[in-house]
Amino acid sequence: MRGMAAPTTDVLALLEATFDAVVIMDDRGRISAFNRSAEEMFGYRAADTLGRNVSMLMTSGDRAAHDDHLRRYLAGGEAHILGRGRDVRVRHRDGSEFEVFLSVGRIPNTEPPQFVGFLHDTSLRRKALATLEHERQVNRLYLDLAQVMLVATNRSGAVQLVNQRALRVLRVDATQIIDCNWVDSCVAPDDRGIARNAFRALLMSGSDEPQSSEYHVRASDGEDRFITWRGVSLRDANNVATGVMLSGEDITDQRRAENEAHRALERMNNVSRLATMGEMAAGISHELNQPLAAIANYAQACARLLRLPAPDMPEISGALEQISGQALRAGEIIRRIRSLVRNEDVRRETQDINELIREVHTLLASDARVHDGRLELDLAPALPRVTVDGVQIQQVLMNLVHNAFEAQGTDMIRAEINGTAFEVRIATRPTDAGDVEVSVSDLGPGLAGEVEQRIFEPFFTTKPAGTGLGLAISRSIIKAHDARLGYRANQPRGACFYFVLPAHMESPR
Amino acid sequence: MKDLPQTVFVVDDDDAVRDSLRLLLKSAGIPCEVYASAQDFLSGYDAGQPGCLVLDVRMPGMSGLEMQQELNLRGATLPVIFITGHGDIPMAVEAMQHGAFDFLQKPFRDQELLDRVQRALVRDTENRARLRHTDRIRERLATLSPREREVLDLVTQGKANKMVAGDLGVSQRTVEIHRAHVMQKMEAGSLAELVRMMMAVAPRQ
Repeated sequence: MRGMAAPTTDVLALLEATFDAVVIMDDRGRISAFNRSAEEMFGYRAADTLGRNVSMLMTSGDRAAHDDHLRRYLAGGEAHILGRGRDVRVRHRDGSEFEVFLSVGRIPNTEPPQFVGFLHDTSLRRKALATLEHERQVNRLYLDLAQVMLVATNRSGAVQLVNQRALRVLRVDATQIIDCNWVDSCVAPDDRGIARNAFRALLMSGSDEPQSSEYHVRASDGEDRFITWRGVSLRDANNVATGVMLSGEDITDQRRAENEAHRALERMNNVSRLATMGEMAAGISHELNQPLAAIANYAQACARLLRLPAPDMPEISGALEQISGQALRAGEIIRRIRSLVRNEDVRRETQDINELIREVHTLLASDARVHDGRLELDLAPALPRVTVDGVQIQQVLMNLVHNAFEAQGTDMIRAEINGTAFEVRIATRPTDAGDVEVSVSDLGPGLAGEVEQRIFEPFFTTKPAGTGLGLAISRSIIKAHDARLGYRANQPRGACFYFVLPAHMESPR
Repeated sequence: MKDLPQTVFVVDDDDAVRDSLRLLLKSAGIPCEVYASAQDFLSGYDAGQPGCLVLDVRMPGMSGLEMQQELNLRGATLPVIFITGHGDIPMAVEAMQHGAFDFLQKPFRDQELLDRVQRALVRDTENRARLRHTDRIRERLATLSPREREVLDLVTQGKANKMVAGDLGVSQRTVEIHRAHVMQKMEAGSLAELVRMMMAVAPRQ
């Protein structure tokens, strides 16, 4: 058969070893060789193909064109396929079609020419590609499902990857920011310094530990969102940083809510401070009225006495002394209130707490008499000295003792105590830590749970004519002394208010 | 029986206010006694002592209001003048509703207090005079025999002797004798005076 130069044995061996399918044809398109891989690929045995036109392996669309291409080539025209590869669809023996990568070459020194075709089954590669694509999509989904913003950049800061959440916050399409510099295009201008430093720190850090930062991003519509970021650096096999990966949480609304809450609290504090001032003003006017009324009475009495034929001079001079005394009392009230309100002018001295208590005892005892009660002192000897504003501490004690007597004052309670002389006790004792506890306890009804919760709130009162400020003010005084005014139930019954004053550090004598 | 001297009783827990009130009243020549608490005053007070009360509304222990109510319970008729601070107007109103004589906001002018005290003392005198008057009438009423009392009730209803005799089933002469005894025992100069006496002791509407 003319021109049918059978391949040499060597060539055949080579063909059989090749993984790709190899088909050789002559200048009229007739198959002269068909290797084992080709048999597997197409389902024909080689013997069934030899001498037949190669178009048997082609899809119907390609068949007609093939002979044309071949004729044109042989007539000196251009080659469509020689030397180049391309994907073509081919036809299996069973009629199914599939795609292969085909490269065709003219076998040198053949005349009439012979052609060899290599057919590479791309389905494996496609499968791998499909798997890869699938993984990419899953990853994409992971990214897009994430509630956080995810952004990856290369080492120069250009955005390589960005998830849906980040795009939504920034209000851009991916195309608008991919390959753009992250800091320059997305970070709010005022925060770019912070963002650049965080980026640099990430690239330079040798560790996988995420690093935190917080800065604003600017959305395409100009709105700034406050984001808290965690970033890690991406590294290649040689541990060289290739970029960074950032996950960010938009905390704008949370921060706004926090600020709102903070402002609301401040407003409330202001309101209650004002209200406290109002209540105190009422209390102040009552307090001041007493000495003023006394002064007016004394002065008017003096005027009358002086009009008498034989004025009682000792009485008049006594009244004048009273007038100056009461004027000073009014001044003292004002001074005290001012120091209370401004929380300044606190005159701290290192002193013996027991002395302070004994000083007010006379005053307190009169309160006790008014209430038909007994005031007991139970003062521990040799206590460490304390550094306090004596007047203020005495005010607190007077307030607590007065409350204690009032708590026991009602007939109902007296009946309950069943005639036993009821009492209020001021006690001092050293604490385990070497500080000084001062307590005022009574045998009244004590505090019910709800009352105990609210007893220190301004305006909270259980007394019909109470202002609800006594304990609140007492507590703030004690707080100013770095201590806490507390409540506990008294044993066997009643209430106990106490505070612990830090011992004054004295160099041993 | 001559009246006891009138006393102004001052009850105020504030030492200075209390003492200044004492001096003010003294300078005006008005006798007074001062007390630091309601309990102090009540424990020593005898309802027979005439005068008036000057009372602080707001005091620890028994408040002025509570003390006023206690006095009402005891049937004491002392007029009460409350002295109040600026914030105590509602309390003063309540006190007035419970029969307080007057109230004063401190600080006050001496004349304001002294005028009120004078009026309160006059009121107390009137109260006591009225009480004494009715007491005397009741004493005289108690000396009447049952028959005389029946005659008195009927004649003060405006009945003539003849009708009284008919009502009681006795002779007109007998009624005349009883009636003469009634006028004598009641120390009444006329029927009109007798009617006024009975109206004074009649329970109030």
